[in-house]
Amino acid sequence: MAQFVAVIDRFIQASVDAARWLALPLVAILFLQWPLRDLVKAGSREANDLGQCLFALYVAVAVTAATRAGRHLAADTLAHHFAPGTRACLGRVLGLVALAPWAVFLLVTGFSALLSTLAQLEAFPDTSNPGYFLVKACASLLALLVLLQAIADILRRDAPACGAQEPCKAQEP
Amino acid sequence: MTPILGLLMLLGVALGAVATGLPVWGILIGVANLGAALAMLTGAIEPGIFFALPNRVVGLLESDLLQALPLFAAMGALLNRLPLADTLFRAGLGVSGGRPTGAPAAALMLGAVLGPMNGSVSANAIALTRSVEPALTRRHVRPADRIALIAVASTLGVLVPPSLVLILLGDAMMTAHTIALNSTGRIARIVNTQDVFRGAMLPAALFLGACLVIATVRGLRTRGTSTLRERLSPRDWITAGATLCFIATLLAGVASGAFYAVEAAAMGAVGLCLAGWLGGGLDGPRLRGALDDTIAMTGALLALLIAATTFTLVFRILGSDKLIASWMSAAPGGPLGIVLLGLGLIALAAFVLDAFEIIFVLIPIIMPPMLMRADDAVWVAVLTLLVLQTSFLLPPLGYALMMTRSAASAAAPLGAIAKSLAPFLIAQMLIVAAVIAWPALTHPGRSSQAIAAQPTASEADIQQRFQQMMPPPLEMPDLGPPKL
Repeated sequence: MAQFVAVIDRFIQASVDAARWLALPLVAILFLQWPLRDLVKAGSREANDLGQCLFALYVAVAVTAATRAGRHLAADTLAHHFAPGTRACLGRVLGLVALAPWAVFLLVTGFSALLSTLAQLEAFPDTSNPGYFLVKACASLLALLVLLQAIADILRRDAPACGAQEPCKAQEP
Repeated sequence: MTPILGLLMLLGVALGAVATGLPVWGILIGVANLGAALAMLTGAIEPGIFFALPNRVVGLLESDLLQALPLFAAMGALLNRLPLADTLFRAGLGVSGGRPTGAPAAALMLGAVLGPMNGSVSANAIALTRSVEPALTRRHVRPADRIALIAVASTLGVLVPPSLVLILLGDAMMTAHTIALNSTGRIARIVNTQDVFRGAMLPAALFLGACLVIATVRGLRTRGTSTLRERLSPRDWITAGATLCFIATLLAGVASGAFYAVEAAAMGAVGLCLAGWLGGGLDGPRLRGALDDTIAMTGALLALLIAATTFTLVFRILGSDKLIASWMSAAPGGPLGIVLLGLGLIALAAFVLDAFEIIFVLIPIIMPPMLMRADDAVWVAVLTLLVLQTSFLLPPLGYALMMTRSAASAAAPLGAIAKSLAPFLIAQMLIVAAVIAWPALTHPGRSSQAIAAQPTASEADIQQRFQQMMPPPLEMPDLGPPKL
C-alpha cells in the first residue's frame, strides 16, 4: 500500500514540478496579445487560443498543487485547538466523502464528451484554431489529479493527510 | 422542501468551515454532494440534471478573464521576493524629507501603488509589513498604529484598478446583470469589468485622501520624534520613478480601454520579471520559489471557484436562489431597501467568509435580485467593493487585519488596534454613505439619469420572468448519461 501511495505521490509531484514552469509562457503569451492586436495587427487570436490551452493545463495541475502546498483557504478559528491526528482524520473524511466522489462524478459524466472531443481533435469554435480539445481534456485531468491526491491522502498512514491543513496564514488568494 | 435544503447547505458550509478548519473548497463540494444526494434520494431532483457540471468546469477553464489569476499570483509572488516595495517606500520617505508625517503617508501611497500590481490583499499585507514596519518602528510609531496603518494600506488595492477582487467582482456582476436585465425586460448595456474599474476610481481616491489626512494628523502628534532621512542611490531613484511611470501607464491604459485587465496584469508580471532579472534580484532559487507560490495560489483560487460553481449549481437546482430572491423582493424601501439589505448580507457574511468566497458563492445568489430592482449596476458594484474593503478591516476577523497581525514583528492588543483603526473605518463608512446618497460619484462626468434605464416590467412580471430565467441549469442535457 505504501508503495502504491509513493507511486501516486511521485506522479503528482512530477506533474506539479513540470506545470509550475507553464506560468512563464502564459505570462509571455498574454503580454504579447496587446502588441499583436494593436501594433502587429495579426496573431492575437492565435495567442489568445494558445493562452487558453496553457491556462487550462496550468489550472488542471494547480488545484492539486495547492492541496500539496497546504495553501487552500481554510478557517482556523477553532481548528487550531485540534490535535494533528484529529486534523488528519478530518482530512481523510473530506477526501472520502467530498473530493473523491466529486472527482469520480466529473470523470464519469465527462467521459463521453472527452472521448468525443479527442476523437475529432476539436478546434476552437470562434477561430477554428486547433487545440480546444486540450481545454476540454484538462477538466478531466483536473478531476483525475484531485482523485489521485484524495486516494493518496486517504491511504497514507505515516503522515497527516494533506487535506487537514495548517493554520490559514498566508492562504488568502 | 427542496429550497429550504439549499439554505441548510449554506448554513452547513459556514458551520463546516469554522468547526472543522478544513479547506473551504472541500467543504463546499462536500455539502453540495450531500445536498444533491438528499434531493435525489427523496425523488425531488432527477440525477441527469447534475450532468451539467463537467461543462461548467470547462467553462471556467476557457474563461479569458480568469487567465488574470495566475498573472496576479505571479506578481504577488515576485513582489514578495524582490526589493521593489522597499525601494518605493524609501523613495516616498525621501520625498517627505524625513518628516514624522512622511512615513504613514508613504506607507499608504505604497499600498495604493502596489495594490493594482499585486491584486492580493494578503501578498500586499506581507510585502507592506516587510517594507514599511521597520521604518515605522524606527520612528516610534506604536505597534497598534503600525498594524492598523499597514492593514488599511494593504486593502487599497481592492478599489484601485485593476485589482484581483475588482476583476472577479466585475465578472460576477456581468453575469448577475445579464440575469437581471433578462428578467426585467429592461434594455441597458450590461455592466463589464471596465465599468466597475471606472466607477471605483473616485470613491477610491476619496478614501485614499481621507486616509492620508488621518495619517498626517496622527503623524503631527508625534512631533517629538527626531527627523530621519533616507539615503537613496541614483539607481534607487530611477527604479522608483520608472516603477511609478509604469504603473501610471497601466492604470491609464486600463481606464481608457487601450488594453484589457488581463493584458495589464500580464504587463505587470513581465515588468516585474524584467526588473528582477535586470536588477539581479531574480536568481534561479527565487524564480523557482515564486513559481511554486504562483501555482499554489492560482490553484487555491481556482479550487474555490470550481467548488463554488458546484455548490451554486446544486443550490439553483434546488430552487433556493428563487426563494432568496422572493424574500429579498419583500424588503421595504424600494430599490434602495433591497440594495441595503443585500449589502447588509454581504457585510454579515464577511465575518465568516473572505472576499473571494463572497464573490464566488454569495454574489451570484443575491446580486440578480438586487439588480432587478436597482437600475445602476455600477453603483451597486462599487458599493459592494466598498463593503468588501471594509470587511477586510473589521476586527476581529477582517482578513487584512489578521494577515498584518500575523506578519507583524511586534504584537498589539486587538482593542488597541481597533481603536487605531476606528478613524479609517469611520472614513470608509462615510464614503459608503456618500456613495449611497450620491450615485453620481460612481459615474464621474455623467448624470445618473443618463446611465440608468427605467424598468419596463411590473413587480409581478419581474417575479414571473425571474422564475423562468433561472430554471435548473439545463445547458448540458446533450451529454446524456455516462456510458459505462
